[in-house]
Amino acid sequence: MISKILIANRGEIACRVIKTCKRLGVKTVVVYSEADAASLAVEQADEAVFIGPPPAAESYLDADKVIAAAKETGADAIHPGFGFLSENAGFAERVEKEGLIWIGPNAHAIRAMGDKIESKRLAGEAGVSTIPGAPGEIENAEDAKTAADKIGYPVMVKASAGGGGKGMRIVHDPKDLADSFKSARNEAKSSFGDDRILIEKFIEQPRHIEIQVLGDKHGHVIHLGERECSIQRRNQKVIEEAPSPFIDEETRAKMGAQAVALAEAVGYDSAGTVEFVAGPDKSFYFLEMNTRLQVEHPVTELITGLDLVEQMIRVADGKELPIKQDELKLDGWAMEARVYAEDPYRSFLPSIGRLARCQPPEEGDGVRLDTGVREGDEISLFYDPMVAKLIGYGPTRIDSIDTLAAALDRYLIEGVQTNIPFVAAVLSQDRFREGRLTTKYIEEEFPDGFQGLSPDPAQVRLLSAVAAYAHAIFTRRAAQATGRINGKHVAKRKDWVVLFGEHQIPVRIDLTDAGADLTIEDRSATLETGWIPGHVLFEGRLDGEAFSVEMHDRAEGYVLRLGGVKGRALVCSPRMAELHAILPEPDAGDLAKTVLCPMPGLVVSLEVEEGQEVKAGEPIAIVEAMKMENVIRAEADGVIKSIPVKAGDTVAADDALAEME
Amino acid sequence: MKEILEALEAKREAARQGGGERRIEAQHEKGKLTARERLEILLDEGSFEEIGMFVEHRCSDFGMEDKKIPGDGVVTGSGTINGRLVYIFSKDFTVFGGSLSLAHAEKITKIQDMALRNGAPIIGLFDAGGARIQEGVDALGGYAEIFQRNVLSSGVVPQISVIMGPCAGGDVYSPAMTDFIFMVRGTSHMYVTGPDVVKTVTNEVVTHEELGGAKVHAAKSGVAEGAYDNDFEALTQMRRLIDFLPLNNREKPPKRESYDDPDRIEDSLDTLVPDNPNKPYDIRELIQKTADEGDFMEIAPEYAKNIVVGFGRVEGSTVGFVANQPMVLAGVLDIDASKKAARFVRFCDAFNIPIVTFVDVPGFLPGTRQEYGGLIKHGAKLLFAYAECTVPKVTIITRKAYGGAYDVMASKHLRGDINYAWPTAEIAVMGPKGAAEIIFRKDADDPDKMAEHVKDYEDRFANPFVAASRGYLDDVIMPHSTRKRVAKALRTLANKKLENPWKKHDNIPL
Repeated sequence: MISKILIANRGEIACRVIKTCKRLGVKTVVVYSEADAASLAVEQADEAVFIGPPPAAESYLDADKVIAAAKETGADAIHPGFGFLSENAGFAERVEKEGLIWIGPNAHAIRAMGDKIESKRLAGEAGVSTIPGAPGEIENAEDAKTAADKIGYPVMVKASAGGGGKGMRIVHDPKDLADSFKSARNEAKSSFGDDRILIEKFIEQPRHIEIQVLGDKHGHVIHLGERECSIQRRNQKVIEEAPSPFIDEETRAKMGAQAVALAEAVGYDSAGTVEFVAGPDKSFYFLEMNTRLQVEHPVTELITGLDLVEQMIRVADGKELPIKQDELKLDGWAMEARVYAEDPYRSFLPSIGRLARCQPPEEGDGVRLDTGVREGDEISLFYDPMVAKLIGYGPTRIDSIDTLAAALDRYLIEGVQTNIPFVAAVLSQDRFREGRLTTKYIEEEFPDGFQGLSPDPAQVRLLSAVAAYAHAIFTRRAAQATGRINGKHVAKRKDWVVLFGEHQIPVRIDLTDAGADLTIEDRSATLETGWIPGHVLFEGRLDGEAFSVEMHDRAEGYVLRLGGVKGRALVCSPRMAELHAILPEPDAGDLAKTVLCPMPGLVVSLEVEEGQEVKAGEPIAIVEAMKMENVIRAEADGVIKSIPVKAGDTVAADDALAEME
Repeated sequence: MKEILEALEAKREAARQGGGERRIEAQHEKGKLTARERLEILLDEGSFEEIGMFVEHRCSDFGMEDKKIPGDGVVTGSGTINGRLVYIFSKDFTVFGGSLSLAHAEKITKIQDMALRNGAPIIGLFDAGGARIQEGVDALGGYAEIFQRNVLSSGVVPQISVIMGPCAGGDVYSPAMTDFIFMVRGTSHMYVTGPDVVKTVTNEVVTHEELGGAKVHAAKSGVAEGAYDNDFEALTQMRRLIDFLPLNNREKPPKRESYDDPDRIEDSLDTLVPDNPNKPYDIRELIQKTADEGDFMEIAPEYAKNIVVGFGRVEGSTVGFVANQPMVLAGVLDIDASKKAARFVRFCDAFNIPIVTFVDVPGFLPGTRQEYGGLIKHGAKLLFAYAECTVPKVTIITRKAYGGAYDVMASKHLRGDINYAWPTAEIAVMGPKGAAEIIFRKDADDPDKMAEHVKDYEDRFANPFVAASRGYLDDVIMPHSTRKRVAKALRTLANKKLENPWKKHDNIPL
């Protein structure tokens, strides 16, 4: 009977495991590095053991320290979470050898699935469909043709040593094969010095679909349906859902059966995931098996009603699976967004730092939040920059999308930039809502990166109402300050013009006890809100429709964000709007092209190279002064023309660190 | 009778046209509004009362007798900002390039006199070409009359200058003597001598922007307290600034309704100071979490960033915040930071604005550049300012308070009213390592012993309790309750009365 679990992990997943343990009445121990001493996981766990400096290699990946911590605290089992030691077969063995229970699959299964070639071979033997391809290298165009005919077009001709698209050709038509083979071979030779060529099936419009499996120590394995994780950016999953809009009952059964067969073949006895790539004709092929709890497990939990962490603990404890395959019932739809600390407007640069504000949406009503940080915590450069997983759940796919989108609008984070506006933008797109997904979705829909969406007319209306209301409240209050000779006079205005992007929206506003009665562009509207100055989240209902808008009152105006839309609103009298129109748009060209060192110090490192393109706000150099490291950032976008200093140089104030053009 | 009324209306209309349609268009093309348009944004709707609309110059040299435009290049009068009285003058570039004649100067001095007598702030909008050369010494005399009134008004009513076009020669010295200067990026410049003269005298080739643009003065010279993107933003922000300021030195700062709970607890402040003593953090987060509704108007945000100053409110009343900024240069005090903060502290003191000081300062910046630049005297300005100041002073040490900089930053010894520290505070003559190296010089070559000495010093002084035991601190407080404690402290100090010995004036080290 497991009574105390050591969690060999940190952050969100550590908190996730603790949550289940608390419910089950199991005691918890977390290990933590120096960087996590004050973390939420440490606070929530019954015990916490310090295991070393921030770099994972010296703490979370140090098996000796983790085992010692378990012994010291009398834990009887170890849950590895994901990442770190979770798929380390040697560690799993070691845990067992030390007389502790490993909450995860047996070492043999981890090892077998951890090897790419071995796992494919085992999959093939277990009757799992693998991507059709010629078994070995292709010697000449003749062989290529034979192989391609057998595989079926389109095929991919690729360099054995390849990477980055070099030496890679996609062939749709048999008559192009010979040429493609030749050119791929030449390119392979010149790029890699290795002209060996392989041929395999090319999957058009691929989707990433994975099957959750669960096994026990009594030889039972079941699957818990699929998840679709096609929305990825540079192979990093961003949005995941269960079930998949693409999978029908029959395909699910087929995929599930294959996943179970593979799991059985390796004696799988915990939670695991079999990943497939699927083509538009519902063909699917095995990619790999992840022998751990998956980041996106909550979506499966929501539609199956099972707690996967609990199940992992139960089976590790020798218990049998709670249900049989035919008892599995999938109910509703779950949509998960991974909230990352990165700046979507600046090509998704990581944005580490302190969470000066972190107000997540409330859980419940179809919203689930898995997070390991709270206001005042630091997103550090040592670990994954994920802030949270936010999940929307509802009866239908559209319900789950809307619930998630609304919850994202209520998620307030300041201090670091997050991908929330970007995720919200994806959730609002018709193509996404219709479920037409592929793993290339983000590249296809945002070929030039993300600049924010243009607001639709309803959003313009809503944002105008919000800005006008805030302005009316500020104006009313200002006109009640002490020392006035002219107070009443000021608050008289009810007709305003809201300037938002290229829009000029006339708004008439009458404040009421519950909010305001408005006329926006000749159409009346009722705003109900409890917003007061100081609240960054402006929540309310416009004509009964609930909304939340993030609003900052800045020198340049009201900076508003709603979903994937961000912009600045000015609230003016009609005359002021006329005057505003006279002025040109501010020009950002005045910014310095030379990055100057603001203080005397020592150049610790340079973060850029000559010829590199940088965006405003990106780090240029780190300068140590007064024993502190200061990050010197670019003030404008540009290309680094020259770098007159090098690491180790002593610099004076106003010395140039980089010239830009 | 009707004709007489119509004639008045016609005369008014002509005056409102200033330099005429063509010049107004030219003004717009440069990205600038006209003198009167600016007032429409700055002042409450319909509140402007013009004074001296029909004033004309009296010059009869160089053919000037034939060129007369009512108003003579400056629009003057009074109005309200959110109902509170202000006096304004707004230079009209469309009329003789806004140049200053004797009549023009008289319009301004009349307004200055009224502002001083009636106890209301005065705001000058500058967009002008300097002295009207045709008037010779009359123009110079006019300038001096304005300067004299700037000085007499200083510390009696707030004086604000907004540079919204060229401002050169004699024109720069009036703004220089006001409390705040703001500029508009791209369209304004300010210098004593322009690029042409610079080239003749020094052979330096320099543009208007490089010599005296908004960036230069807001970030480098510190002449300006801020820069805005255009006329609209500059003027709406002036409204925001005026909302913080008392009308004159006899009044308390304005009070308005606050929507923010004075007892608000901010748990995240407990982790604001990083565990690693060499890691920076942003002190503005503390200011924002202390002030009502997170509303903080920073003054001179681009200049001497190692110190942060600006206005916020607590329980609806204006407070001046001064804080070392660990993010920049570890928050060290140098020449620029001392000057910037000293001026701000003196402004607050002159206008009855309580000062809340957040301290995290490793000392004064060492080096020849600083010493040759006169750090001793410039640093003394801040010391002097805090010491002479009689408004309520609440001080909170968040981390380092080392050496003389501890004394300077509104310490108990400089009549700090309420002095608190966070438990993370370290109050000492210097950092533990440096101190141990001096006290135990003989053990310099023994790293083990040295480490022990450092630890020893840390244990003794790297905490606030020694200072608290001496009474130099009134209490050690939880970071999360900072707003609550500051609000309570300010409440108790609302009727503070403290007077300095009578003197003609002090002799601050200028």
